[in-house]
Amino acid sequence: MAGGAADCSFWERVLAKHCRVYELRNKERISVAAASKLLANMVYGYKGMGLSMGTMICGWDKRGPGLYYVDSDGQRLDGNMFAVGSGATYAYGVLDAGYSYDLPIERALALGQQAIYHATHRDAYSGGNVNLYHMKETGWEHIGWTDVLKLHYQYKNEKK
Amino acid sequence: MEFLIGFEGKDFVFLASDTSAARSIVMFKQDQDKMTPLGKNTMMAMCGEAGDVAQFSEYIQKNLQLYKIRNGYELSTKGMMNFTRKQLAEALRKNPYHVHTLMAGCDSTDGCSLYYLDYLSSSVKVPFAAHGYGAYFVLSLLDRWHKPDLTKDEAMILLKKCMAELKKRFIVTLPAMMVRIVDKNGIHTMPPLLEKDYVTMDTVQDGEPDRSIVRPLIL
Amino acid sequence: MSRRYDSRTTIFSPEGRLYQVEYAMEAIGHAGTCLGILANDGIVLAAEKRNVHKLLDDVFLSDKIYTLDDNIACSVAGITSDANVLVADLRRIAQRFKLSYQESIPVEQLVTNLCDIKQAYTQFGGLRPFGISVLYMGWDKHYGFQLYMSDPSGNYGGWKGTCIGNNSQAAISMLKQEYKEDETNLNDALKLAIKVLSKTLDTTKLTSERVEMATLTRQDDRTVITILNSATLTKLCNEYEEEKARLEAEKKAKEKATPSKAKK
Repeated sequence: MAGGAADCSFWERVLAKHCRVYELRNKERISVAAASKLLANMVYGYKGMGLSMGTMICGWDKRGPGLYYVDSDGQRLDGNMFAVGSGATYAYGVLDAGYSYDLPIERALALGQQAIYHATHRDAYSGGNVNLYHMKETGWEHIGWTDVLKLHYQYKNEKK
Repeated sequence: MEFLIGFEGKDFVFLASDTSAARSIVMFKQDQDKMTPLGKNTMMAMCGEAGDVAQFSEYIQKNLQLYKIRNGYELSTKGMMNFTRKQLAEALRKNPYHVHTLMAGCDSTDGCSLYYLDYLSSSVKVPFAAHGYGAYFVLSLLDRWHKPDLTKDEAMILLKKCMAELKKRFIVTLPAMMVRIVDKNGIHTMPPLLEKDYVTMDTVQDGEPDRSIVRPLIL
Repeated sequence: MSRRYDSRTTIFSPEGRLYQVEYAMEAIGHAGTCLGILANDGIVLAAEKRNVHKLLDDVFLSDKIYTLDDNIACSVAGITSDANVLVADLRRIAQRFKLSYQESIPVEQLVTNLCDIKQAYTQFGGLRPFGISVLYMGWDKHYGFQLYMSDPSGNYGGWKGTCIGNNSQAAISMLKQEYKEDETNLNDALKLAIKVLSKTLDTTKLTSERVEMATLTRQDDRTVITILNSATLTKLCNEYEEEKARLEAEKKAKEKATPSKAKK
């Protein structure tokens, strides 16, 4: 999630609540499509009232892996690759150069991490740590939480 | 910079839409479908404000579906158009939807028709129409080349003519167009129209740079 | 026993009846007769006029048959003031549809819409139901010529020929006897309507003042609703009387020809 910190954390929790209630009611986890639409419909109701969010919702359901983009305009897109936030343009540059649909997982994780690093490097409003997650059929796995400073020198050494 | 275009032919209506999904300066997608089926022989293409398009088009589609379930038959294209127009008009002074629409349909009673609807709910039945900045370039072409007894092949050629002009004069590129035809048998999805399908003699071909613009720089 | 239940519409009696609804239907049984007949090329509505006082100024109002829209007309049996309210509703429903879709409302949709209102009065709020049955005739592109009947409970159905009001059961069985399916044209339907009406009404001779009639046909892709003028009605009545006299004469002639049979 990117944008207003309060909006993001609040709506993430609201969405999580709805997804949990769905699970209790239907004895089945919500699909990625439905979850993302839930969020899109919720924030659409506040359109023009100053919400600022760009989010990606990913998961694994009956239809396989799913990735959706949802923003505070109420726009909702599905796709294979997205970047959101003020650094998105920088991240896209790195991603587009290295991406293909059949990328092995290790390479994909590395590409994602590097894209975020470059975004934090160029974008004045991004920085700190890079969080990496891997969404699998069995659920998500937290891969890493890496300081961009460490990545900076790591990539610098690799360049030499 | 979205673009919708449509025209009536002999016994069909032709709709084409661009495929971009973007926000501010970032292009997210180049395979977005901007058309919605409304019935067996009716569809609409919609563009405009992000979010509004998805919400409004789905609202209209589902309500027309409900009408069919309630009554056992579909509304005519004219009926669908006036319903859509009224919903948009009623929302206009409360919570306006910023959407532009083209609606195409073929009825057993009224024949084939194309309707133009803008975000202020001005609706009009037309032989051809376009939405977006692209319209400023192609409407004159349609005035010049469109005829009521257009065949499907001629319609495709006409679209290519329009797209070639846009490629030449319009600052924004439209790499792919989604094309659909509606006739009395239903809605037919055509292969997308790509730039390579309409490059003309005077545009630069892939892999063969135009040498004429390369000149030495001499003081 | 029923007194505890029949003052309320919204409560079932122990036998599972809604007395007020039944009373409403009873009220219609005393009202002027209306009948409708579906033909291949049109529809006929006919209604008995009860208000035939010589001082009554009826210039202003044709009181039994109402045009609802370009393509639909109806005739009403029951309490006239209730009818006025429902006819106003019907016209509003038709116009609301036209405002939404710029098209005339399909006939059955208008009927269902009104029946929803009628039904609500059998269930909500301590109000009495409308003491009204309605015959609707209409044309739409979906189902062509259509004849519907709706009662105070909110029930409705499509008919080829039916009757509401005073003596309606007798009229319905007569219609059942005489109606020729798929072979009835508008002219036959008009004759049949006069015949059934004259036998249903307790008068010796049917006159144009006692009856109101309307037809619905299609001409040049347009629906045409015609309320018959008194000259046409008189002509129809006379034709019927002549026909009746002719048949009577024939019958008598037959009896004369075979006197033995007549004696028996």
